[in-house]
Amino acid sequence: MITTDFVDRDRYDRMRRIDWVDVESIQSKRCLVVGAGALGNEVVKDLVLAGFRKITVVDMDHIVTSNLSRCLFFRDSDVKKVMKADVVASRASELDPEAEITPIVSDIKDLDDWHYDIVIGCLDNISARMHVNAHAYYNGIPFIDGATDGMNGRVIVILPGGPCLQCTMNRTHVEQMERRFTCTGNGTAFVPKTASDITTTAVIAAMQVREAMKIASGHPEKCVKGATYYNGTEGTMETLEVTVDPECVNHQE
Amino acid sequence: MSIAITVKNVYNGSTIRMEVENDETMGDIIKSAAEYWRKEASAYILKKGKMLLRSSMTVAEAGIITDDVLEMIPDPEGGSR
Repeated sequence: MITTDFVDRDRYDRMRRIDWVDVESIQSKRCLVVGAGALGNEVVKDLVLAGFRKITVVDMDHIVTSNLSRCLFFRDSDVKKVMKADVVASRASELDPEAEITPIVSDIKDLDDWHYDIVIGCLDNISARMHVNAHAYYNGIPFIDGATDGMNGRVIVILPGGPCLQCTMNRTHVEQMERRFTCTGNGTAFVPKTASDITTTAVIAAMQVREAMKIASGHPEKCVKGATYYNGTEGTMETLEVTVDPECVNHQE
Repeated sequence: MSIAITVKNVYNGSTIRMEVENDETMGDIIKSAAEYWRKEASAYILKKGKMLLRSSMTVAEAGIITDDVLEMIPDPEGGSR
């Protein structure tokens, strides 16, 4: 009997219709997601739905009520009882039972293993971003960093050999980083709450995962070149060219 | 010789008129403008057209001329909490 519904039995049929997408390659790539908050929830959801099956999620925080307006995988019953990374890994696995999602409840600065194909930054402070940027760059791993502030957001794709996140930074970033530290001298970061909403979070996360799909499909040349700034209030987006800063510590011989 | 430029905060529309020298850097300009907008403590990036101006780049290297308008954009930091 001739049937026409076979195409609907393939989970990734519609994705395969995009000419540059390589589903099998995406499934084989090891992806590190740093941060399991607002961006982290959206990024992991998109990664799993896009076919990524080897995902590690790092976060050291527990869930609080204010996370619930932006985090798909969190529930009221999770508040103050469970850790973000554990919940994201567990609930995201339900989207695709073949996905292996490994939670690591830890400060990213304590992570020793950097054997990944792609790193996705979903962080909330410059200090942690600089750490991830340096490790990804040193290890030659593409790094896709996302950031939001209210209706504004930014995505930057860092590819081996090109400019890195630190190349875009200046003294205001250093001052912002210094404002984050307490006077206890023990390195405890105080991170004030920034404005955040799910719509901007979803846009930025989707852009990050789309760039990851390009890299995982073997098409890094298709990645957006530079830093993309999104203004959700005005509905505008602009990509700025970024060049290597010869004074950047990551680019010293 | 001083070059008169305008620095614009893209998100609040505020502008500053500034005089800069050829050997001053984009970092110097960002720092001065950020101090002017101190009430909105944030990290910023500076752009001219479609180019993100690196901190170490000088006014001469960036090809900045009189009456250029440079735009400052707050660089978002959040995403996790």
